[in-house]
Amino acid sequence: MRTKPLLILAVLLIARHSAAESPIDARDIIRDAIDHYRGLSSYSELTMTIHRPDWERRMSIQAWSSGSKKTLVRVTAPPRDAGNATLVLDENKVWSFAPRINRVIRIPSSMMSQSWMGSDFSNKDISRTDEIVEQYEHRLLRVDEHDGHKVYVIESIPHEEAAIVWGKEISHIRDDYVELEHQFIDQGMQTVKVLKTLDIQKMGGRMFAVQQRMNILEKVDEWTEIRVQILDFDRQVPDYLFTLSNLRNPRE
Amino acid sequence: MKTPFSMLVTVAWRNLWRNHRRSLIMLAAIAIGLWGMIWMTALMRGMVDQMIDDAISTLSGHIQIHAPGYLDDPSVEHTIAAVADNPELDKLLHSPEVTAWSQRIRVPAVIRSERDVYGITLVGIDPQRERGLSFIADSVVSGHYLESVNDQHVLLGRKLVEQLETKLGRRIVILSQDPDNNIAERGFRIGGIYDTDLQATETTYVFAGIETVRRMLKMGSGVSEISLLGHDYRNVDGLAAEVRAVAGTAETSTWLQLDPYMASMLDVMDGFIIVWFCIIFLALSFGLINTLLMAVFERTREIGLIQALGMPPGNILLMVLVESSIMLLIGLLAGNLLSWLTLLPIRDGIDISAVAQGLEWAGMSSILLPAVKTSDVLLANGIVLVLGVLASLFPAWRASRKVPVEAITRIWQ
Repeated sequence: MRTKPLLILAVLLIARHSAAESPIDARDIIRDAIDHYRGLSSYSELTMTIHRPDWERRMSIQAWSSGSKKTLVRVTAPPRDAGNATLVLDENKVWSFAPRINRVIRIPSSMMSQSWMGSDFSNKDISRTDEIVEQYEHRLLRVDEHDGHKVYVIESIPHEEAAIVWGKEISHIRDDYVELEHQFIDQGMQTVKVLKTLDIQKMGGRMFAVQQRMNILEKVDEWTEIRVQILDFDRQVPDYLFTLSNLRNPRE
Repeated sequence: MKTPFSMLVTVAWRNLWRNHRRSLIMLAAIAIGLWGMIWMTALMRGMVDQMIDDAISTLSGHIQIHAPGYLDDPSVEHTIAAVADNPELDKLLHSPEVTAWSQRIRVPAVIRSERDVYGITLVGIDPQRERGLSFIADSVVSGHYLESVNDQHVLLGRKLVEQLETKLGRRIVILSQDPDNNIAERGFRIGGIYDTDLQATETTYVFAGIETVRRMLKMGSGVSEISLLGHDYRNVDGLAAEVRAVAGTAETSTWLQLDPYMASMLDVMDGFIIVWFCIIFLALSFGLINTLLMAVFERTREIGLIQALGMPPGNILLMVLVESSIMLLIGLLAGNLLSWLTLLPIRDGIDISAVAQGLEWAGMSSILLPAVKTSDVLLANGIVLVLGVLASLFPAWRASRKVPVEAITRIWQ
């Protein structure tokens, strides 16, 4: 009789285990990872290092985000770059402000795949909206073990008519929704660029990829790294931040 | 008894062959001069014909109908009613005067692959109607031509595929603007790759089914342009007037208006040919005059003698003219024959692809097809004959003005 509850427990455990295993929806993981990354709203300060074979350049950046689409990114240092800002309201609604010419420019989506401020990040990488959730077909390839965490390896293939050029993207997402790696693969199945997480720390009340490096594989010894210094998910991010007038004349 | 003129001809003929080496050289000069005129003209004509042909098949057609303002700003806002919505135009387009027609949506767009971005012109076509009207149906070298107006694939030029570092069967993203100024973008799979003589064409145009483009751009039932072919590209004004009458507010233009560079090319060509003929003739005439002067000078004593025997100066003048005419006629005969013989082997075109890149800026293709026009050949022959006879008037006049006594008493030949 004593074995029975144990048996039941074992059955339950197995059932739970397989129940936990089978309904893993790759799409949900991706969405959760983005939610984890963006929070409901967030404020962060980070440095971006652009490395090239014969020079290296560092920028300090402030960023605000709200909801799943809105992002405001502003460069604060060095002085020659300070004031450059990018506002994202949607995938197709991106503006950039350059204080030197005192102009707000709408970035057409043709330029979304082009470099953001000379870095290896594209305008699209900077905005990091939840576009990837809707426009791709997601499939869980495998589950790896890493430092005692489960790592979901998810393949995302864009829909036939989606306005995305990649053949597929592969994300490595830890079970606490920290993205460890993101590969952009062309249609010849050649990896073009890789975003790798180099350091994970508890910040803003959650585990967060505080140091990430973007590497375009065809270019030797060229990469761009971002390191998050301050991250705050609780701060109130008012809506007026995400306006064109605030893009041009910062109030905060 | 012989008439004086036929006697003159006999004498002239014999005179001609007294120094046969000199006469043969002159004949060769005339023949080669004429050959240069005809051959060169045939090549130039061929070049221009081909340029015009290319221009017309590169989406121009003989006549095009656009919304007013489209030509200045080829955007999606400037549309005209489709042919189906204009019964009068429909009727005209189906008349025997029109050999081919089609309607298109043509908008500026941006194409994006994993590695690059280029500005292009996105052309939504009716694949069946486009056959025989423009180059695209016959230029697909790999993959397939579009099957229907709803075909989900796009056709890219070979050079563009190269620049985008993509391949047949891969996806690219095309982006444009809808009539409400919103961005319209979607992915397409490359269904075919086309190849044209001009790289500029290959990097400019991307083709897709017209209904597919219409859906992507969220357009109504309108089209950007209607293009049609008549029977003769040199004579399009009559048909254009008929089209204009039924096109309503839309703007009707002929290819001469759409491509003024090509149109002026035609005029320049006609002028250039005459200048070219005259330059060759000028070079030729020095040789001709020199030869005749020499012949007359040699025969000073003889001319004096026949004058003394009673031949009037007018006949001497005539005799020299007949001599030069015979020479010109034989030379022309040989020249025409030479031209025909040398044009025969290249009548299917000369491959000049080795210098194709250099020719491209002028819109020329890499195969040169000579075009012999009867009027050009007649003009060349006419110019040589008439101006040749005129040029020989001077030596002939010199011959007729000799004073018999002086001429006879000249002691040296």
